[in-house]
This record gives sequence, C-alpha cells and structure tokens, in this order.
Amino acid sequence: MQKFVIVALNSLLAAGLYATMSYGLAVIYGVMRIINLAHAGLMMLAAYATWALNDRFGLDPFLSMIIVAPAFFVLGMALYATLIRWLPRSAAGPSMQSLLLLFGVWLVLQNLAYAIWGGDTQSILTPYTMESVPFLGGRLGVPQILVFVVSILSLVGLNLVLRRTYLGKAIRAVTQNRDAAMLSGVNAGQIAAVAFGIGTAFAAMAGSMLSTLYAFTPDFGRSFLLKAFCIIVLGGMESFTGVALGALVLAFIENFASAYTSIPVSYQDAISFTLLVVVLVAAPGGLPGLWRMLDRRVVAR
Amino acid sequence: MKALEVDGIDVFYRDVQAVWDVSFDVEPGEIVTLVGANGAGKTTALRTIAGLLKPRRGTIRFQGEDVTGMPPFKLVERGLVMVPEARQLWPQMTVRENLELGAYGKEARKQRNETLGVVLQMFPILEKRSHQNAGTLSGGEQQMCAIGRGLMAGPKLLMLDEPSLGLAPMLVRQVFAALKEINARGVTVLLVEQNVNQALALANRGFVLETGHLTLSGQTRALRSDPRVKEKFLGEAAL
Repeated sequence: MQKFVIVALNSLLAAGLYATMSYGLAVIYGVMRIINLAHAGLMMLAAYATWALNDRFGLDPFLSMIIVAPAFFVLGMALYATLIRWLPRSAAGPSMQSLLLLFGVWLVLQNLAYAIWGGDTQSILTPYTMESVPFLGGRLGVPQILVFVVSILSLVGLNLVLRRTYLGKAIRAVTQNRDAAMLSGVNAGQIAAVAFGIGTAFAAMAGSMLSTLYAFTPDFGRSFLLKAFCIIVLGGMESFTGVALGALVLAFIENFASAYTSIPVSYQDAISFTLLVVVLVAAPGGLPGLWRMLDRRVVAR
Repeated sequence: MKALEVDGIDVFYRDVQAVWDVSFDVEPGEIVTLVGANGAGKTTALRTIAGLLKPRRGTIRFQGEDVTGMPPFKLVERGLVMVPEARQLWPQMTVRENLELGAYGKEARKQRNETLGVVLQMFPILEKRSHQNAGTLSGGEQQMCAIGRGLMAGPKLLMLDEPSLGLAPMLVRQVFAALKEINARGVTVLLVEQNVNQALALANRGFVLETGHLTLSGQTRALRSDPRVKEKFLGEAAL
C-alpha cells in the first residue's frame, strides 16, 4: 500500500512536467495545425542555456527560467517570422512541407549544439540535486517537487492568459474556428506568431526543468518528444484538460509499469510508443473522443 | 458614394473558377440580396468581399476605398463584417465570450458594453444562455448568436451567408425580422440566400447568381414577378 502511494505520487510529479512539455506542442497545433518537430531541439537548447547560465554565473536552474523562457518566446516569434509563416496553410492537418521544415530546424539546432558544446554529456549539479524529503514513509526528490510546482504554476498562468485576456481568447478562437476568428477582426498571422512564441517558451521551460533531472547531450529530447506526441494524441490534440489528463495517464502507466512489472526502466519509451499506437488505432479522437462516444451511447439509450 | 462596389471579379479555388466576372453594388442603407441555387458561387463571392479569398481579377471598393485583397481584420476595422454560413461559432466558449470576442477591433472594444446591451435586447434568449457553451445551443439560437457576434464588431455593412439555413420556418421569420430591425438602425445589409422567396420579400434590390455568373438583377418587386425567377426558384412554373 505504501509503495502504491509513493509510486502514485511520483507519477503525479512526473505528470506536471509532461503536461508543460506537451502544452507547447498543443498550442502550436491548435492555432496552426502543424506539429512542431523542432520541439525536442528547443528543449535541448534550453537545457544547454540553463547549464551555461549555471556554469558561468552560478545561476540556479529554476531561477534561470525567468531569463530562458522569455528569450525563447522571442526566439519562437523570430522562427515564425523568418520560416514558419511561409508554409502553405492546410486545414486538414500538418502538411509535408511543415514536417520537413521543422525536422530540418531540429537538425540545425542539434548540430549547432554539437559545434558549440561538443558531444560530451552535461549535467547540472545543485545543492539540492540529491536531496529528498520523507513523505508518508517514502522519500520524494526535491528537484522533482520543484519541477512539479513550477509546472503547475506555468500551466495555471497559461490557463489564465487563455481564459481572461483578449489575446488568449483570440488564440482559443483561432483554434476552435479560424475563419470565424478572422471574420471577427482577429489578425490570424499575429496570433500564430504569438502562439509559436508561447509554444517555444513552454518547450524551453520543459528543457530547463529536464536539465535539473537528467544528464543531456545535443541528442537530448527525442524520447520526451515521443512522450509529448503520445500525450497530445491521448488528450485529443486541442483541449486543455485533455492534455492534462493525457499527461497523467502516461505518467501513471510508465511509473506503475516499472514499479510493478519486470519491464526495465530503459523500456519506458516502448511503453509510450505502444500507448500511442493503441490510442491511434482504438480511439483516434483521444480521451475526449472516447468520452463523446460513450456519452452518445448513453444518450442513444 | 456607394457602400460597396464589386467590379468584375473572377475567383478561383486552386484551378477551378467559381465566380466569373461578377459585378454588383450596394447603396448605403439598403438591403440587397444575392440569391441563387446551391453551388452558384454566392458564398465564394461573399468570402472574397470579406477578404478570406483573393480575386484573381477585378476590384472591390468599400465606401469608395479600394479594399481588394485586404486581410479580413482590416476590413472588420472599417466596418465590413461578415456572418459566416452555418453559424461557425466557437463551440467551447460561452455565448458571452462569443459575443464579446465579436468586438475584437480597437474601436468596437470601446463600445463593447453598449453594443452588448443592444444585442441582448434584440435577442433576449442570448441573455438566458449567456454562460452556456455555444456548442450546446439550438440551431436558431446559434444563428442569433452568430448575428449578435457580427453586430458586436460595429458593422456599417453586415453581410450574412444563408442565415435561414436549416431553420424551421418560424425561426426564419424571426431571423429575417431581426435583419429588418438591424437595417432600420442604420446598418446596410447584404444577404446571401437560397431561400429566394423570403430574401426577395425582405430586400430592396436583388441579384441572381447562376453557376458563377450574374444573370439577373433589379428591384426585388420586379424580380419576384419575373417569369425566369418564378420558374427557377419559386416553383410557380406550372401555374
């Protein structure tokens, strides 16, 4: 029982980070209907930026997010203005052009990192990296707790912006019906630029936080991108609560699988990939789609 | 000065031409209707005027200014507002949010609360549904919400694409009565309709669009008694 509680808590802590990492993809997909394949590269770059700030100036990785996140917001807007905006629009889903372009951006970022920092594994050591606090008879890592708190704060912040401000409402409007938003006077290009900035800033926050938990190289981020794919497919691509639920489901499955079965931790990626395939085959609409289907069945009776 | 002048526009979807050399105009304060069968190019013409599509040829003038190819948000700022077909609300936002976001432009935002009062007075049902998600509204309520959202932008010319689509006759009458009231408040109206009979009854002037070409135009009184219109749209050929 005690083991169960600790595993559940660890799943919850992981889910916060997973959600932060996935919202960046979801916001961009919602507004532009493109999948940001460069997401992993941006997370990696943010991890290095956090490391550099820590190495040079001794800045705490969590405090460095105050610099890194806004800087990446600007970087995202710049990427949009120079590259993304020229992509042909497709209402149906991500175009081949957009996938190729963003995959290319990822490769460029990766090789840039190799050129600047080399291929050695880096990690950030803080006074609390190895600390943990006793909780209900088990122990929870201090970095994990900090990551969870910052994740929740960033998600609450994003949700407030989306619900309360004109800009946030415009982002939701473009996501739900782009034509209607344009006909109401929303400048769709400007909203897309802001959304790409927000998505990039969330990738950066996830990257900064990941750097406090894991060691990284320029190849870092791939398996987390896969997890994020799995989460937004599970969450139904554009719903805020859906993504949070998707993050919870994946985190719980991963943690319980490694705690209660003999599947080695190194096979964790296989779990998210299997889940992704199962969801795509069995419930392409994700959890919200499944919910609607059940709802309709009940109504039909 | 005319409210709207459309001069010889050709519009394409990729390589397929949907609108051929269409010209018409709207005087300030008028109700003008563009009627025709399904697929005649009415919606395409309207989306082009609203800036969602660019004409390959021809010009569009709004209040004397050439606005051809201008993006929708600039047109909305100038008072050229379109209420799209099939309502197209934001389903996961409340009715209130849908209406408020209609007043997105700088000028409209200043007048927001006053305009909201006028809209809720015109459609009291929207007040009751205020905190419901727009996706849960009935067809008639959705149409009222869509028209209300259009009004929130503070239009000088309001263009509506098939507001009667899928509505019961009683609701159609209600929506058309609302259009009359909107017009009486000084808003010029351009109405696209398949419901030819009722559209011609409401409007001052009408234009008939057939497979992308403008074929007939004139005062609605004359159009309603025109044998060609009767035969094609009013189902009175046998009489």
